[in-house]
Amino acid sequence: MTRVVVICGLLAACAVAGAGAAFAQSSSTTTALVHARLYTMQDNRPLENATVVIRAGKVQALGPGLAPPADARVIDVEGRIVTPGLMSAGSQLALVEVGSLADTRDHSVASGALGAAFDVQYALNANTAMLDLALSDGLTRAITHPEGSPVAPFLGQGALLRLGPGDTLLERSRVAMYVRVGGGAAAGAGGSRSASWSLLRNALEEARRFRPTTGAGSPRDQLLGRLDAEALQPVVTGRMPLAIVADRESDIRQVLSLHDDTRVPGILYGGAEAWRVAKELAARRIPVVIDPTLNLPASFDAMGARLDNAALLHEAGVRVAFAVSAFFRTYNAGSGMRLGAGLAVANGLPWIEGLRAMTSTPASIFGLSDHYGAVRVGVDADLVVWDGDPLEPSTSALRVWARGVEVSVENTRQHALAQRYSPLRKADVPPAYRR
Amino acid sequence: MVGPKVRASIDPDPVLQAPKNRMCPNDPAAQVRRTHASRSAIRRVALVLAVTLAATACANPAPPRDDRRGGDRPEHRAGDGPRERPLRDFAAQPYPSTYVPLPRHDTLIRGATVLDGTGRRLEATDVLLHDGVVAAIGPGLDAPSGVEVVDAAGRWVTPGIVDPHSHLGNFPTPYTAEDAQHSDVNEDSDPNTAQVWAQHSVNVQDPGFSRAIAGGVTTVQVMPGSTNLFGGRTVVLRTVPAPTVQGMMFPDAPFGLKMACGENVVHAYGDSGRFPVSRMGAVAGQRAAWIAARKYLHDWRRVAAGEEHRPPEPDLKLDTLAGVLTGDVRVHAHCYRADDIAGLFGMAREFEFKITAIHHATEAYKIPELFVREGACAAVWSDWWGYKREAYDAIRENAAFLDAAGGCVAMHSDSGIVGQRLNIEAAKAMAAGARAGVRVAPERAIEWITRNPARMLGLGDRIGSLEPGKVADVVVWSGDPFSIYSHADRVYVDGALAYDRKDPAHQPLSDFELGQPSLERRP
Repeated sequence: MTRVVVICGLLAACAVAGAGAAFAQSSSTTTALVHARLYTMQDNRPLENATVVIRAGKVQALGPGLAPPADARVIDVEGRIVTPGLMSAGSQLALVEVGSLADTRDHSVASGALGAAFDVQYALNANTAMLDLALSDGLTRAITHPEGSPVAPFLGQGALLRLGPGDTLLERSRVAMYVRVGGGAAAGAGGSRSASWSLLRNALEEARRFRPTTGAGSPRDQLLGRLDAEALQPVVTGRMPLAIVADRESDIRQVLSLHDDTRVPGILYGGAEAWRVAKELAARRIPVVIDPTLNLPASFDAMGARLDNAALLHEAGVRVAFAVSAFFRTYNAGSGMRLGAGLAVANGLPWIEGLRAMTSTPASIFGLSDHYGAVRVGVDADLVVWDGDPLEPSTSALRVWARGVEVSVENTRQHALAQRYSPLRKADVPPAYRR
Repeated sequence: MVGPKVRASIDPDPVLQAPKNRMCPNDPAAQVRRTHASRSAIRRVALVLAVTLAATACANPAPPRDDRRGGDRPEHRAGDGPRERPLRDFAAQPYPSTYVPLPRHDTLIRGATVLDGTGRRLEATDVLLHDGVVAAIGPGLDAPSGVEVVDAAGRWVTPGIVDPHSHLGNFPTPYTAEDAQHSDVNEDSDPNTAQVWAQHSVNVQDPGFSRAIAGGVTTVQVMPGSTNLFGGRTVVLRTVPAPTVQGMMFPDAPFGLKMACGENVVHAYGDSGRFPVSRMGAVAGQRAAWIAARKYLHDWRRVAAGEEHRPPEPDLKLDTLAGVLTGDVRVHAHCYRADDIAGLFGMAREFEFKITAIHHATEAYKIPELFVREGACAAVWSDWWGYKREAYDAIRENAAFLDAAGGCVAMHSDSGIVGQRLNIEAAKAMAAGARAGVRVAPERAIEWITRNPARMLGLGDRIGSLEPGKVADVVVWSGDPFSIYSHADRVYVDGALAYDRKDPAHQPLSDFELGQPSLERRP
């Protein structure tokens, strides 16, 4: 693969795949990162002394020692690690500004008709301060998902975000149908998780029988409203995965049997005890999105939580991605995930898998591997230059490209505050006058 | 960078105290009078050193103790007059510690990179633990016969980590439906519950204790929650599990009082139309309480002086507040915003007590000079923000900026998960500082999680650094403690091996987790 890429670069004749550059301002310029320690995610080992050529928002060429095109702006990264932009498999970015303020929070509905039909895409706020910080931490893609609806066990439908400049935050809506089961979630179903599973199975069955022409006049014994039944159509036809949030082994085994009975593609979220069912999950190719920092029984459902969950799942052949705990779903979505990945690696996950869990694995789970998740010719140029090992929490992103456009890692509200109050700055005027 | 180092509770009573320079928060004399006669001579030497350092750092050292001390303690009242009685001991502990160190034997840790908690980094250094204390530290120490030798070449050694803000035990895992109804962390029946003590809420079977010690944490301060203006008294625990809270309590640790300002109090009460519904109401509620406490203290002092024979009705709530006014109870205030924090500092001046630490303090970086002037520490996270309005301006440089201004910084957890990795909290905060041009060396940053929090708890003379005579709370790390890949390999508490990553016999397991089927690995 590498060899092919090099030849391609040398000939300088590589077609730019996926025409239609994301950013007009960049399409005319060519940028080349040179002397990179490049983790393409295609291989376990990095390409040393690598060059990556960015043009028209895409990776145009790459390879070790590749001479940059004559017209390229050359950026020497001096041997630093370069990876794809990171992807969070579970955030609430662009849905929440301040967690405690209901009027700045759109991740859930408490009442009304919407259950499965609750779709977060219309609430996305590209101007939230959380996004700039996530981007400056190297996050260029994120799943943002709903938190709750009045129609148990449904939470609603999540969306795929692409972070970066421009008015293009929403990459794809309705990427998965979110469902939550378990001890804490059973109340909405009447008090038992068994009811949650019955309601879910019933909903899928009703959705399967649903006909749009008769939708408005549903039979009286149908529980699902028309909107929810419609929203479930892509699920029952296998086009939208069912993302089931569950921690306890018994619930994870229900995920397995639901999968066996309905063949609906599934993603397990949470999965504190997933390591106990690793082989079965692997056999069904059900990926797991875990919180790698969880090693305490946050609830009785998570009794078996342990730090080598990711390692054990990977060992069994399960695809693992990360969604760090509630605290980091909005603020610190990037840095919190990297800490979690480092922790998973400290507890047995191979280092490269820690990086995959933040790049190519979520890309494959959510079906965007054709243009994101690995560094190869033709994909979106989402690239991060790190000032150290990206799995070390003390490392930071030095430079970030999102779809070929470099974004300033200093373009955050936090950075502006730090600048204003820096002890290195002469405080000759009151803070409000320091810009 | 030489900031206020020795923390002490300043006697706030204007009648009993000579004027002092408020610009210098150090009160070594107060620190000295806290020591008990039974302490070892070596510890006294360490104290004298600390006092000397503090005096050097302070342009206007506090007056000699004899000029300052009016006498709240019985020993100072002796001979003052036959009618006088000892002042009520507002910090009496009727439920004292029964903690006993684990069985131990002397240990020589060989050839480590040592961050000793006093600002030094020592390469290829040995640490000798003898009889529960650090006996010696230096290169090529002789191994006394019978000592266990631990080869620490390539490994790092630090003091045991101190978490000054924990809810282990009083907000335990697992969180259940019952906790959702009524938790043990907040007595949110009244905005002033200074009468409650966190030690009466601790579930010692919280599995979090075992995780904390595996993260190198040897001492935690368990706090009441933050829904109340006065949340109650804190308790300092060892992370070595025992069947009772008294069995985990740090012997003779001073009491703390949890105070809170801002959103949590207003939400807890104002949302249901109860007082306080606003920040100004919150401050008024606190001032009113101090006025009552001042009167209570005054009444007891009149009794002590023989001017009044009928003692006031003992009041648990006012005891705690009066204990603050006499300097026997240390104030730990939950507060985020700079303006709120400044308000608390103003209150401390108005009622002449000392604030030991502001916890969370996400805007400390906006007012570092106030922290330095008041001699208050800030107990902070590396990067929590955004979950509520008053945490919107948090920056990752907070710790480094405050440190650079000469302030006292400690990392805290407030979380059983973060509390396992205070070393990583410090690592993140260091890195943020460095990116902003404020470099903090590892040997300095280690103080954020060892010496500084130990001082916040009034235990700086006993734990928090590796010096001869100090308690042997020691962590042997597999590598650089500021790396996510490093593990606490061995953790010593009072010189005893309390955790060994390689040996299940030295890994505590709570009763709660014992025999749980989901914890067993299937074959």
